[in-house]
Amino acid sequence: MKKKLISLISTVLLVSSGFAAWAAGTPNSSIIHIALTAPITGDYAEYGNNFKHSVEMAIDEINANGGVLNKKFELSVGDSKGDPKESAMLAQKWTSDSTIVAQIGDFTSTCCMAAQPIYNRAGMIQLSPTASHTKFASGSKWSFSVYGSQYWEQPVMAALAVDKLKFKNMALLYINNDWGVDTQKSFKENFEKRGGKIVATESYFQGETDFNAVLTKLKEFKPDALFLATMYNDGALISKQREKMSWNLPVIGASALYSPQLIQLGGTAVNGIYSNVSFFAKDPDPRIQAYVSTFEKKFGNTPNFAAALAYDCVYILADAIKRAGSVDRNAVRDALASSKDFKGLAGSITFTAERNAIKTYKPVQVINGEFQLVE
Amino acid sequence: MFLQQLINGIAQGSLFALIAISFSLVWGLLRMVNFAMGELYMLGAYAGWLVVMHVTPNLGVALFAGFMVGWIVGWLIEKVAFKAMRGVPHIASLVCTIGFSFFLKETASTLFGAETKSMPSYYSQTAFTIAEANISWLQVLMVAVAIIMMVLLQLLFYRTKVGLAVRAVALDYRTASLMGMKVDRVTSLAFSLSGALVGFVGVLAAIYYNAVNAGMGFVPAIKGFTAAVFGGITSIPGAILGGYLLGAIENLSVKFMSSGYRDFVSFLILIIFLLFRPNGILGKKTKL
Repeated sequence: MKKKLISLISTVLLVSSGFAAWAAGTPNSSIIHIALTAPITGDYAEYGNNFKHSVEMAIDEINANGGVLNKKFELSVGDSKGDPKESAMLAQKWTSDSTIVAQIGDFTSTCCMAAQPIYNRAGMIQLSPTASHTKFASGSKWSFSVYGSQYWEQPVMAALAVDKLKFKNMALLYINNDWGVDTQKSFKENFEKRGGKIVATESYFQGETDFNAVLTKLKEFKPDALFLATMYNDGALISKQREKMSWNLPVIGASALYSPQLIQLGGTAVNGIYSNVSFFAKDPDPRIQAYVSTFEKKFGNTPNFAAALAYDCVYILADAIKRAGSVDRNAVRDALASSKDFKGLAGSITFTAERNAIKTYKPVQVINGEFQLVE
Repeated sequence: MFLQQLINGIAQGSLFALIAISFSLVWGLLRMVNFAMGELYMLGAYAGWLVVMHVTPNLGVALFAGFMVGWIVGWLIEKVAFKAMRGVPHIASLVCTIGFSFFLKETASTLFGAETKSMPSYYSQTAFTIAEANISWLQVLMVAVAIIMMVLLQLLFYRTKVGLAVRAVALDYRTASLMGMKVDRVTSLAFSLSGALVGFVGVLAAIYYNAVNAGMGFVPAIKGFTAAVFGGITSIPGAILGGYLLGAIENLSVKFMSSGYRDFVSFLILIIFLLFRPNGILGKKTKL
């Protein structure tokens, strides 16, 4: 009986794996299959869903306009939950599927860098909308960052802090992961170069909710202002706990704070916070307004910077495929790397030799519960 | 600022202490750990949040909702993971509670969405100021609640018939049942009570940190369990002491070292301490 069962199971397995191989191995000449890795659930779900909605929207538009090289785009989405392990597992999954031309994602630098060796080994484009670690894109010839890197973002914030806001002594608070360490280091370098002084630096780990102790400690150093290298959710919690301690001081932070959720979560505690953007939803540019209104109509919320960057990713990839004239992974990679002055929603994209897009960042501030450009 | 950090530590310690009591309760009765404790905490917080956002801003009602949700889910976990699995190796129950932990967490994140929810502040005004250190009414309330809970539980266990029953079952459940005691009912009660307690703490924590999300229970549950072992898991006063000490050590280690070393320091102290006193501060020697 047992033997029969085993042989039955193995037959079923064999047949089904044969079917799977047949299904996966058949190159369908009329589609361009791409993969999206994003934190659809978990702490970064807001960003992940912005990715997903925007990528779907871009693909629908391209397909409605006849596609690229007479092929339609097809999308597979994987949820990395903001967990580097999951992101690496998805990379295994995508790279073992020979129909996939390129991968867009992931959201955090940490996740991207965990998956990077897998894409590198397999030779698949890893096009991240948002990874901004200074060592991400340079790590593999298959990795691209559309966001650019902290290397360009932080000089803007340091200039704002020193020249406009006249801060002399600042305290830093960062999330202890690849991105947080890199961001605060980059800000510190630029701030000190301009004559500022960092009087205290503290960190916390992902998932922390109690910021009373670190804030109490930072307060002792009496800084003029606080710099946050954190995501919007932690930024909001930190601000609320700071407000409760009645510690009032100016706060500036990385672009990851730019999200409508920061204001929803933080309420009055986030008023006055400075951040920066490469994409601003209230930009009067008609292309941006058209995108924002379509997105709002479809998904019921305002797209954030991550959404715009993901949207740009699809278009720049489509552009590269068109220029390459084929869906061969190598040809598309080379075409992507030579992208020049591509007009994206979040600024124009030209990749450096290290495959980081050079971007311009504009400072913004929360005023009366709304982000506004700083003149 | 030493004092301020100590106050922060005591406030946080109250949360740890209450979670630690819940672990002690379950351990005392069944010699087992409920790994879904963090999720009971999270569900309590969601219950409180739902009440505050949609029903009434009354804090008392929110705390009661957290308590009740914890009670009901705690009861359910006992029925499935412990009662239905009595007689099979303990490890099955443990794995079952781990299963509950993931199940409840994923359910909450599907039902309510994965993003962090904002919880309004209560009693955040300063109650006292001692040497530049501010103590808010909420911090006072948290400490008071922890102490009141401890006193109530001590009274329940040592002054009532139900308490006597719980202690008898904890001592030897076979003999107790041979004596005609309703072991199942006692276990069920204690389990529900421990769930209710963490559900209640979840609401307090949500208010203290102004945030609710599906993953919020994991770290506090580990710390609460640690505090229980630190204080001596067989003793409720020990659990309280362990909670406060852990809170104080953590916050003071931020003061004296970098905040990145926060958990490093507290767990190092814990490991060294347990090497010398494996039963915890107030724990008695037990044969397992």
